[in-house]
Amino acid sequence: MMESPFWDMMGMAGIYAPLALGAIGSIMGCSAGGQAACGAMLDVESGYGRLVGLSALPSSQTIYGIVVMLSLNRTIDIGNAPGLFAIGTMCGVALWFSGWYQGKCCASAIHATKSKPEVFGLAAAPAAIVEGFAVFAFIFALILAGSLPVATGGV
Amino acid sequence: MTMYYTLVASLPALPRSFDAGPSPITASTLHHRLSILTDDDRRIVGQLSHFFRWDRQPIGRTDAEVIAMHRRLNHEIGNPLVRRLIEHRFEMRTLVAAVRCQREGKSLPELPELPVSDLIRRHWNQPGFRMSSRYQWLVRFCHALDENRAQQAQRHLFDELWSLWSRLDQQYHFTFESIILYVARWEILQRWASQNTELGEQRFDALVDRILGEACLEI
Repeated sequence: MMESPFWDMMGMAGIYAPLALGAIGSIMGCSAGGQAACGAMLDVESGYGRLVGLSALPSSQTIYGIVVMLSLNRTIDIGNAPGLFAIGTMCGVALWFSGWYQGKCCASAIHATKSKPEVFGLAAAPAAIVEGFAVFAFIFALILAGSLPVATGGV
Repeated sequence: MTMYYTLVASLPALPRSFDAGPSPITASTLHHRLSILTDDDRRIVGQLSHFFRWDRQPIGRTDAEVIAMHRRLNHEIGNPLVRRLIEHRFEMRTLVAAVRCQREGKSLPELPELPVSDLIRRHWNQPGFRMSSRYQWLVRFCHALDENRAQQAQRHLFDELWSLWSRLDQQYHFTFESIILYVARWEILQRWASQNTELGEQRFDALVDRILGEACLEI
């Protein structure tokens, strides 16, 4: 471990940020979608399963966060702490917002599907597009994590 | 801002037009669903419902009473959207009342404190108070009155309210404003259904057919 507690903290924050912020995004998104699914169930007679399934789409941000966290996890020193912080935090913010807004898309899709079941696939497309941006943030965080220097004696 | 995902998603879609069919939700079910609202929001919806109940009672009310009600609501109502809906409704009432007075050859009535009142006073002797381009529904409304078609005139009023409130609704997603606009449009549906005898007969026939059908199945 490095000697500066400040950079030690920043490095650890960067490592954990993708998971923490991604989980916050998933919580907000799944909550919005789940509430809309519960409301829609009061108004429809069938197709409950796909409403709940749609509301769970924003869970993926947490999974991406876990993978990025594991890829960033290494011994922290002054050479890699700023990079860990920058990549981890920015990726985390992207996952947070994508989860949050994907949840809003899911809620709208559930609302639309309730009145017009035949548009289920198309209504879910905006949520899938938002997911695509989360995937970009995830993939490029992994690529950049590979270019960060490994501390002497580190993983 | 409180988001009402569950409540908005639980409300059945309203028809495209207020005269396109029966109300998709009964008063008691709507009331039950609205119990999800927070206390403050429920109070605001209560204010709006109270106004609609007052607005439904058609005649036998003096100009002074209408003006007093307008002042009181202006003082009491804080929610900007509810205030906007009520102001718009008062504006329409004022124009309709002024048109009726003008056509009956009466003098200028007492008017509430609204921007449209000044225009009516200024152009009292001119047809449509020179506001036909601004309020296009007023032209259609006057034509219906000319043809002595009261229900058609009422349809033009509801059409104007429905269009404006539906347009406003597109700006809000799962917020309290969505609920306000739903309740407001549902009120138009109820009013139109209560005034439309043809729709009432159709509904009655459909209910009788359904009950008879169920009875036949049981036998």
